[in-house]
Amino acid sequence: MGLAEEVRGLSQAVLTLDKATIRFGGLFAVRDVSFSIQSGDLFGLIGPNGAGKTTCFNLITGVYKPTAGVVKFGDTVLNGQAPNRICEMGIARTFQNIRLFSSMSALENVVVAGSLRQKSSFISALSYLPSAIKETGEIRARALELLKVMDLEDIADVRSCDLPYGKQRRLEIARAMATDPTLLLLDEPAAGMNPQESEQLMRTVRRIRDEFGKTVLLIEHDMKFVMNLCERIVVLDHGVEIASGGPAEIRNNPKVIEAYLGEAV
Amino acid sequence: MSFWIRRLASIALAVGGCFLIDWFAKENLKDFIVRLVVLAALYITLAVSLNLINGITGQFSIGHAAFYQVGAYAAGLATVTFYKSQPLGLALWIPLMMLVGGVTASVAGLVVGLPSLRLRGDYLAIVTLGFGEIIRIVTQNLKVVGAASGMAVEPKMSTPMIWLAWLLAITSIAVCRNLLQTAHGLGFLAVREDEIASSAMGVNVTRTKVAAFVLGSAFAGMAGGFLAHYEGFLIPTMFTMDVSFIILTMVVLGGSGSVTGSVIAAILLSTLPEFLRDIQQISMAGLVAAAISIIAGVVAVRYVSQHVHTPSTRRIAYPGAIIGSIILTVVLSKVLAFIPTLANASTDGSRIRLVIFAVTLVVLMLVRPQGLLGHREFGWGSLRRSEA
Ligand SMILES: Nc1ncnc2c1ncn2[C@@H]1O[C@H](COP(=O)(O)OP(=O)(O)OP(=O)(O)O)[C@@H](O)[C@H]1O
Ligand SMILES: [Mg+2]
Repeated sequence: MGLAEEVRGLSQAVLTLDKATIRFGGLFAVRDVSFSIQSGDLFGLIGPNGAGKTTCFNLITGVYKPTAGVVKFGDTVLNGQAPNRICEMGIARTFQNIRLFSSMSALENVVVAGSLRQKSSFISALSYLPSAIKETGEIRARALELLKVMDLEDIADVRSCDLPYGKQRRLEIARAMATDPTLLLLDEPAAGMNPQESEQLMRTVRRIRDEFGKTVLLIEHDMKFVMNLCERIVVLDHGVEIASGGPAEIRNNPKVIEAYLGEAV
Repeated sequence: MSFWIRRLASIALAVGGCFLIDWFAKENLKDFIVRLVVLAALYITLAVSLNLINGITGQFSIGHAAFYQVGAYAAGLATVTFYKSQPLGLALWIPLMMLVGGVTASVAGLVVGLPSLRLRGDYLAIVTLGFGEIIRIVTQNLKVVGAASGMAVEPKMSTPMIWLAWLLAITSIAVCRNLLQTAHGLGFLAVREDEIASSAMGVNVTRTKVAAFVLGSAFAGMAGGFLAHYEGFLIPTMFTMDVSFIILTMVVLGGSGSVTGSVIAAILLSTLPEFLRDIQQISMAGLVAAAISIIAGVVAVRYVSQHVHTPSTRRIAYPGAIIGSIILTVVLSKVLAFIPTLANASTDGSRIRLVIFAVTLVVLMLVRPQGLLGHREFGWGSLRRSEA
């Protein structure tokens, strides 16, 4: 273990999974998975179809409650917390099967997420008081900024269901960013994108980490994307963790190669 | 500062407008029409408040008459019990009782809203409808509120307080509009669109749904409080399931989620069918002709929407299909009048009122499933524009 990694090991973990397990009937979708993500990591979670990657995200974000094991955000145990509470604490996600608010405009999608930390009360909104108007304006301005970051400012007013696939994926990221998370979870952000788009996305994700200081955990099937972007990777297969380490280690790990049945990794 | 001046000015304008309607109606309109003016305002309130629950937040609640009834009975009972032993005049007392009705109904809204956290779609619809029936049947058997023979609300308003009904309607519209203009309101729409994504973005889905139920039923309850003192008499049959269905029809017809749509549909559906009551004799020939023409019209409109794609042709084709079916009605009714069995049979207007609601809904679902306005609003500068 190099010095840099040792230092990292000492720093505070943002997210820790400790023997996280979830069972659907007889199926262990995720079984005894343990890993921890340090602040500022660009962390990859990979594995063949049905490996349990999305289920891991659902465990972390409170969609499912772990059957056993612990999910910790900093020092806080997340088991059993409601998804909106977890988001408030600072974990935001995108969805593999895009879940935008489809009849709302791109901007409105981001504003919904951006209103998470607003201070003006419900009553002030109902009576349209200056505080509510002002804060809505600020949230909007921030949302437009984020649309710019994701290169979407030109479609701010387009209904999100009318957007092409690649833009919907980027809008999901903008929306998640609007909640101002500490940890950003991206579920197959490059799926359905062409090589140029995915190249562009890679730069954007790196920028999200470097400029905005977010810690990123991402699931992706595009190996080029993961290997170029992520500094640490965990590999799942049939719900179990089969390998973890840097891209080079993962690429040469026989178990990983076997899991992917000889696919080029 | 200029904000408060503008705010006060717009409130003054709204109140002034209400008194203007009041004055105009009392000076110029027949009692029968004045009644429609009042009912229109109450139905606007009911439709707009159901739209908040149903259209904006996406909770398929269909028993809105229950909250209307709870408000009416609470206000009525309070007046019967306390009015004599207190110093307030009727002009102050009635608005106060509307608040009592609103608060009581919102408690009922809370009770019904809670299952909505677990139930979705049709299941919630059944629960809300069932709640409405329970409320109605309980009052039917409750001695303190006169059971099935009803309860007199003494004193009632000496002349219809038209302004008050309209002030309530405008307030309900303003509250919904305000909500949709702020970031808070978008959270309600988000819950309608996708609950899982909403909660993942930090929206408190539970609180949002309950807030919609409480607020929506509060307005229905206030409308009920008004009704109690307007009619001076309450009886459970005033709040049957068809009242709920009429309110629901207004929301769907206007376009679920659109406040302006609810208002327009509420005005149309609360007034137009009433005029039918006056028509004593509607010939069967005319009815059959209308039925055939409606079918022909629907087929024509659907044909245009599916097969005609050039905008200029469409602009002619749509009105053409509608005017065509009206002409067809007239011609057919003359032709059918030659058939003796049809020519001699007739029915009266009040009987086909509900038929008209049903037909309107069926036609709408076929021709324009998104409702008159869809999700759109008229004349609002809103968040939807990207410039500040
Ligand atoms: N709610 C559920 N009920 C039952 N089984 C489930 C549920 N959710 C996931 N599973 C099962 O858990 C396993 C893991 O699914 P998951 O979606 O996590 O895979 P994944 O790694 O994200 O795959 P992909 O790459 O295809 O997205 C699958 O076998 C899936 O069928
Ligand atoms: Mg997945």
